[in-house]
Amino acid sequence: MGSKKLRRTNLSVEICSRLHSHRIETCRDLLSLTPLEVMRVAGVSYSQACQLLKTTSQACAPKMTMAWELWRQKTGLYFPTSLAALDRLLQGGLACGTLTEVTGPSGCGKSQLCMMLSVLATLPHSMGGLDKGVLYIDTESAFSAERLVEIAQSRFPDYFLARERVAEMASRVHLFRELTCRDVQSRLQNLEEDIISCRAGLVVLDSVASVVRKEFDPSLPGNLTHRSNLLGKQAATLKYLAQEFGIPVVLTNQITTNLSDLKPATSFKWNSLEGSSLAAEDSGYVTAALGNTWSHSVNTRLIVQYVDAHCRQIIVAKSPVAPFAVFKYSIQSDGIRLEGDDDQAGPSHQGTDPGLQPIRVRSGFACNLTRGSSAIRDMRGSYS
Amino acid sequence: MQRPLSSFAFAPAVKVKLINAGFHTAADLCDLRPLQLSKESGISQQEAVEVLQTVRHDASQGAGAGSRMTALELLGREQAMGAIVTFCSALDSVLGGGMPVGKTSEVCGAPGVGKTQLCIQLAVDVQIPVCFGGLGGQAVYVDTEGSFMVQRVVDVAKAAVEHCSLLADDAEQREALKVFTVEDILSKLYLFRCHDYVELLAETYLLPDFLSQHPEVRLVVIDSIAFPFRHDFEDLSQRTRLLNGLAQQLAQMANQYNVAVVLTNQMTTKVGNGQSKLVPALGESWGHAATQRLILHWEGEQRLASLYKSPSQREATVLYQITGAGFRDVLSSDHASADSSAIPSGNAPKRLRTQADDHQT
Repeated sequence: MGSKKLRRTNLSVEICSRLHSHRIETCRDLLSLTPLEVMRVAGVSYSQACQLLKTTSQACAPKMTMAWELWRQKTGLYFPTSLAALDRLLQGGLACGTLTEVTGPSGCGKSQLCMMLSVLATLPHSMGGLDKGVLYIDTESAFSAERLVEIAQSRFPDYFLARERVAEMASRVHLFRELTCRDVQSRLQNLEEDIISCRAGLVVLDSVASVVRKEFDPSLPGNLTHRSNLLGKQAATLKYLAQEFGIPVVLTNQITTNLSDLKPATSFKWNSLEGSSLAAEDSGYVTAALGNTWSHSVNTRLIVQYVDAHCRQIIVAKSPVAPFAVFKYSIQSDGIRLEGDDDQAGPSHQGTDPGLQPIRVRSGFACNLTRGSSAIRDMRGSYS
Repeated sequence: MQRPLSSFAFAPAVKVKLINAGFHTAADLCDLRPLQLSKESGISQQEAVEVLQTVRHDASQGAGAGSRMTALELLGREQAMGAIVTFCSALDSVLGGGMPVGKTSEVCGAPGVGKTQLCIQLAVDVQIPVCFGGLGGQAVYVDTEGSFMVQRVVDVAKAAVEHCSLLADDAEQREALKVFTVEDILSKLYLFRCHDYVELLAETYLLPDFLSQHPEVRLVVIDSIAFPFRHDFEDLSQRTRLLNGLAQQLAQMANQYNVAVVLTNQMTTKVGNGQSKLVPALGESWGHAATQRLILHWEGEQRLASLYKSPSQREATVLYQITGAGFRDVLSSDHASADSSAIPSGNAPKRLRTQADDHQT
């Protein structure tokens, strides 16, 4: 809205031409000036300058809504993830109109979760889906169409019995492969048209961190600010799209080793489940990548981590509606399944800084010879 | 009378013409009529009328045209304005009753520590009816980050309504409860969603008009002011200028329309001496913008709130927690090393009553 041209607002032609000679064309240019500067460039008195600013503001200010109107349209506020306990905690599912980030070590299941959500988004409303398309922006080449179909057929075997339904589901997921920062930027800037033409109800960006970390070396001077600016712009674009179309946006992130002294209490009880303690060989510990500013930008942060070689956990680290909570899960042929009893010892009212939450990585490599099964199953993790 | 003409708020072209015609101070213009002025200086008749009106208005006001009052009057005004409770009695006592109305306060914190939760709690608490010790006002919420979730407001509102209905024991309070329901709370919360700094600036220019149309608004929350200003600026000095202008406008608005302005800020990592620490974002000069500064931070698993800057209260740190019902105290039975200001939330009802008594005496 800031790029609205001044000619199209209620300003007089004479003033517009005076401003044009100073290269002030859009609302953004005019509102970035103080009233004294406006007096100078437009040649008007102080009260007229204030009036000018007000008229321009009226042209590009957002409209007012009341919280009650938002509450009245009760549907369309969240996207159920089909993981019942998680949905209950998040008061319905992933919130539409916000950014949800899934972060964790490699191989933990972030892309699996994204693919499962893509399947769910294409389902009709009667089955808990959004009945819309999915835009999947893949920067790591982790998307596999076969796995998508496998998840669909295993999770909803009755629904996907007919081959046409499978084909229709797969045709609703639009895949974009972007491998550099610039490609991702241009894709995000054109995403509006794609969302409208594909009638998308979910946008997945897998992953935000990979392209950024390849191209920006934070040890070089100036790169860190440049990287933060770029990430901030991406977050702002995605939030705008999420809000305007009322759709959830899912991002994935990677992990980094944090060598600072800002270590939270390591005797945190959730981490010492089953007696295994945090493996800290050096003085650092592993947290979500992309820094503190990025932690502010996302609205919800879900951390996936390993408990031991076979068990994984999903942690709700930052959420506007849910308290801190941990769930166990495993990856099966039908995607992600939560394990354990429903309450998981109840959510506590404590928590830690989501930017500094330590994440457990896979410390060892346990392999068992599986008798008579195909090699692909080994790579998928343990099946119950 | 001796005020030079160049210090008046005329258009630059008009000023140049007046000075070229030989008029330098206001005294030169006193006895002139519009037609004569416009012929001598070459400005249009309309402009001549405006110039003469401005000069005469300034002359008649005399010295000290700004509002002046004695400290006694200001004391009465400040006491009448009140404060917005946060339902965390420890924090309320540190703040001297709650978030002050008529001033700007800034809340900084690390991600996930509860800034948006505090803002939502304040937006509900400002609507508590006067007979329960609240302000009975409305709230404006300017959201730049997208963290405002209506479900959360409903939870907090339900808890607040329940809390008040447990307290109601006379007829007036029961009457007031009838208009203090979740739907009423939601319908008195005005929401603006700004996507970048231009929209935020535009909204700030339009807020005074909105506040005069809705005189019952007692709280303006901007959550957060840091996000739109942190990634779009190559020229940091322009950012500082815009932020200073914004801070001034908000301070003036708080004073003129009797509202509490609450701004949310983020934290940034500052690296120095091989160590990194978290400091409030937007730079050092922004630290002077708000009257009061509250910093929320993590200490291990606990959340702490520190009053960092205040003209009238002493610096202090308290524990708080975020429950399903909103922003609350930490019950002192959970912590052996509770400081003396950690009053258990069971006392909160009494606090509301005594505030009501204060208003009546």
